Amino acid sequence: MTWFETFMNGFTLTQAWIFEHCVNPLLPPLGLLAYQEEAFDATEFALVGMGEVALLILIFRPLEALFPAERWSGRRGVRVDILYTLLHRLGFIPLVMFVLMWPLTFKLDAWLRFHGFIPYTLEDLIPPLENRPLPTFIAYLVIIDFFSYWLHRFQHRLEWWWALHGVHHSQQTMSYWSDDRTHLLDDVLTATFFSLLSLAIGVEPGQFILLMMIPRILQSLAHANIDWRFGPFEGCLVSPHYHRYHHGIGTGSESGQSSCNFAVLFPIWDILFGTANFSKETPPTGIADQQEGRDYGSGFWAQQRLGCQRLWRALTLGKA
Amino acid sequence: MRTLLMTVLTLFSLTALTCRAEVVVVLNSGEGTITRIDRQSYQPIDHFYVGREPHHLMSLPDNSALIVANAVSNDLVFLDPKTGDILRRLPRISDPYQIGFSPDKRWFVANSLRLDRVDVYDARDFHLVKRFELASMPSHMAFSPDSSTVFVTLQGSDQLAAIDLLTRAVKWVIPIGKTPAGVILTPDGKHLLVGVMGLNEVAVVDYKTAQIIKHIPAGKGTHNFMPEGDGRHIFVGNRSGDTVSIIDTQTLTITKTFPVPGGPDDMEVSADGKELWITNRWIRQVSVVDLSTDKVVRTIPVGKSPHGIFFEHHAARQ
Repeated sequence: MTWFETFMNGFTLTQAWIFEHCVNPLLPPLGLLAYQEEAFDATEFALVGMGEVALLILIFRPLEALFPAERWSGRRGVRVDILYTLLHRLGFIPLVMFVLMWPLTFKLDAWLRFHGFIPYTLEDLIPPLENRPLPTFIAYLVIIDFFSYWLHRFQHRLEWWWALHGVHHSQQTMSYWSDDRTHLLDDVLTATFFSLLSLAIGVEPGQFILLMMIPRILQSLAHANIDWRFGPFEGCLVSPHYHRYHHGIGTGSESGQSSCNFAVLFPIWDILFGTANFSKETPPTGIADQQEGRDYGSGFWAQQRLGCQRLWRALTLGKA
Repeated sequence: MRTLLMTVLTLFSLTALTCRAEVVVVLNSGEGTITRIDRQSYQPIDHFYVGREPHHLMSLPDNSALIVANAVSNDLVFLDPKTGDILRRLPRISDPYQIGFSPDKRWFVANSLRLDRVDVYDARDFHLVKRFELASMPSHMAFSPDSSTVFVTLQGSDQLAAIDLLTRAVKWVIPIGKTPAGVILTPDGKHLLVGVMGLNEVAVVDYKTAQIIKHIPAGKGTHNFMPEGDGRHIFVGNRSGDTVSIIDTQTLTITKTFPVPGGPDDMEVSADGKELWITNRWIRQVSVVDLSTDKVVRTIPVGKSPHGIFFEHHAARQ
C-alpha cells in the first residue's frame, strides 16, 4: 500500500468515525435525517478544513517569521482573522450560505428543469472535456477565477459593495489568516453570484477534495505577511507581494477605479484587462481613511455592524 | 505441432475462463467513478470515470447494456458490464437519481431527489412523457405487478406517493413516517415494504387501500431492500445502525439481524444465493457476507461514497 493510500484510508476511517459517532446521531432529533448524505459531505469539508488550517500554521507561520514583508510589534490584530478563517474553512459560514442559497440553487434549478430547460455543465459546452475529470476541474478553476476577478473589480467599483468589502481591506496586519476576513453580506452576494454561475456552467467535479485545497491555500499564501515575489512567474500566479500591493494604502486598497491587482489566482486577468501593477514597492496595508481615524472595528461583530452602517450610508448618501 | 495445439488449448481455456468471469459493477457516487470487481477472485478489475454523481444503475430490459444514471451530469450512460466499455451516453436527462423500468418494460421512471420531481419516460426511446412535481425529495421506487402504478417514497415530506402510469396522474399520497427511503413489493405482490429511516422500522402498506397495516421494528436508519431470491425473504439495510436484517414476508417479521460496517446501502445477492454484497457508504468499501454464517467475510476497497451495485448474474429479485 502506498503512503497516499494509507493516508486516504486513515482519512476515510476518521471521517466515517466522526460522522457515525458525532454527526449522524444529531440528525434525527434535528429533523435532518433526509440530509444524511449532505451531512456526510459536510463532515468531510470540516475535516479537510481542519487539515488545511493545520497546514497553514505549519507552513506559513514559519515563513512569516523568516521572510516578513512587514515587521509588527505584535500579532494581536491577527486574532480576529483566525476566527473568520475557522468559521469559513471548518464549514460554518459555507453551511449558512448553502441553506440561504437553497431556494436559488435548487428551487430555481428545479423550476427551470420542470419547464424543459436543463442547465448546462461545462462538459456540455466543451465536449472534449467529457469523461476527463482532471482537465474539467482545471477548466472550472480558470473560469471561476475569471469570474472572481470581475466580481472583485465590482467589489471595489461599486460604492455600496466597497462598503462591505472594506472589512476585508481594513486589516492593517495582513497575514495568511486574512483571506476569509469578509462581511457576511459580502459572502451572501458572492454566494449568490456563484450560485447563478453554477446554473449556467454547472459546478466543478467534487471528487478532488485534496486538489480543491490548493486554490484555497494559494489564496491564504497571497495574503501572507511574506516578502515573496515569484520572479519570472510573477505574471502566472498571484504572489504575496502582488496581492499585498492590492491591499496597500494608496495603491490598491481603494474604492472607485484607482485600484489594481484584482486577480485571485492568475494575474493574467489583470494583465489582459489593464489592471496589473508589478511595482516592487511594499506599501502598508489598510484603507486610507483609517489613518484619519476611521474605525472599521477590531472584533468580529463590530466589523459586521460598522460594515452595515457604511452600506446604509452608501445606499442613502452615495458614499460609504 | 503439439506445442501449437497446447497453446491453442491454453488460450481457449483462458478465454473460456474470462468469459465465465462474473463481473460486479459498483458506482462510487462521491467521485463519479465505476469500480468493476471479479466476483470469483474479489479483486478489482478496473476503475474509471463515468460522470458526476452516479447513484444507481440497472440493466436494460433486454440485458443488452447496463444503465448508469449520473444525477449531476444529467445523463444516462449505457455500459457493457463485461468489458467496461461505454456504449453510448444519453444526454439531457434531467437529474436522474433513482431509476426503474416498469415490469411491462413500457415506462422508464427517474426520480429527481434533489429537485423534487418524478419523470416518466417512454422506455422505448427515452422520450419524456410526463413530469410530476412532488414535495419533497422523491427517493426510491417500486412498481405494481400490473405496471399500472409506480410508488415513490418522498424522503423530505415523509410520504409515499402512488402515480398512475396509465392516466399519468398522482393517485394518492399518504404519510408514511419520518424520512422514508427504500420501497419494495413483497414477493406475493400484496404489500409494499417501506424503509422508514427516522422511525427505525419497516412500514407495511396495503397499496390497494393506501393503508399502513403493520410497523415492523428494524435497525437504526432502516434504508433499503433486496430480495434474498427465495420468494420469501428480503434483506433490509439499517444504514445508521450498521446492520442488515432479514424480513420474512410471510410472517412480516424480522428473523435475523447481523452487523455490516460503514453505512450499509445498496445490496446484491449472488445467483447461487451464497453471498450478499453491500456497498458501505461511509468507508469506501464493499462488504461480502457469507449467507451460511451471516458474517462479513471480505471487504473490498472501492471509491468514495459507493452506492449502486450490480451483479451480472444475481438471485431472483422477488
